[in-house]
Amino acid sequence: MELTQNQINQLYKFTRQHYVYHYDVQTELVDHLANDIEEICTETPSLSFEEARDKSFKKFGIFGFMDVIEAKQKQMNKRYRKILWRFFKEWFTLPKVLLTFGFTILLFFILKIPFSEYVILTALFGIVVFDMFQIYKQRKQQKQKQQKQEKIFLLEAMIGETRQGFTGLAFINIFNFINLTNVSFSSLDNSWLLVVSFSAVLIIILFYVTAYLMPNKAEELLEETYPEYKLVKSL
Amino acid sequence: MGNQKLYKGSLQTIILKLLESNDKMYGYEITQHVKELTKGELQITEGALYPALHKLEADGLLDVEVAKVGNRLRKYYKLTENGTKETANKLAEMQEFLKTMQHLVNPKFSLE
Repeated sequence: MELTQNQINQLYKFTRQHYVYHYDVQTELVDHLANDIEEICTETPSLSFEEARDKSFKKFGIFGFMDVIEAKQKQMNKRYRKILWRFFKEWFTLPKVLLTFGFTILLFFILKIPFSEYVILTALFGIVVFDMFQIYKQRKQQKQKQQKQEKIFLLEAMIGETRQGFTGLAFINIFNFINLTNVSFSSLDNSWLLVVSFSAVLIIILFYVTAYLMPNKAEELLEETYPEYKLVKSL
Repeated sequence: MGNQKLYKGSLQTIILKLLESNDKMYGYEITQHVKELTKGELQITEGALYPALHKLEADGLLDVEVAKVGNRLRKYYKLTENGTKETANKLAEMQEFLKTMQHLVNPKFSLE
């Protein structure tokens, strides 16, 4: 007995009810459950689809799909970091490395101006406001996607979430730090100033890669990560 | 059915070995295959199999392929080049382990 399309769709729903939200993880579990249900129904034809499904689900143990989700998340974290590192590294190879050092030196000279803190604070404030606006736009899009019950892949969600976390944490913290400690950059040593400028440029690159580059290339990255991506989108 | 705990540490090696001799397999197929080979002695649980597969994939030992089978998508796993090398290592480790256990459990037969 082979399961019908309707029953397959029900299994997708079933995984969602058991906290599996991403399509790639769901798909593997659905195929597994389907195979097992087919086998169970062949052995004991008297069982209904739902009974066979519950029997199959029990085999996953008391934590249900949790272990699977956790392992998948870990795997994807590793993949995400690898991609991030790949883009990040690009800024230290020619020709981009010239820009990296150019920015560092530019920042260094800006910091040397007396009262440069205010320039930095204003710039940071500008970035935060601008990015908040972008996040707001993105959230709206995401909500629409969820409402339409589009298939969301785990990596896709991670690319979105990391982008949302960044401004909130990094920039607001830096803003507060500069504001509260009242450091005067222009009175610092040159070598310290260089360290400060270089670290700032590193953070900006990281921000740019996670918040702009990766979301813009999301489609490409997803195709590279998921062999089924094209197939699924064309269904 | 024997003590499943004893098999736990060997799950990855078992998966790699199976994939070495079967080219590509999907999750459910692996559980069934093991059950068949061991005549039901070893039953890989779902809750352990997929995390192990995902870990091996993250480590770059496995590659995935997806195909539409009937009305659903199926995810196949196969060894990468690294995976093939690692399988040989793991199997050698396993032989060593079996030998050591043999010595420990059955000292009188170990007159080498």
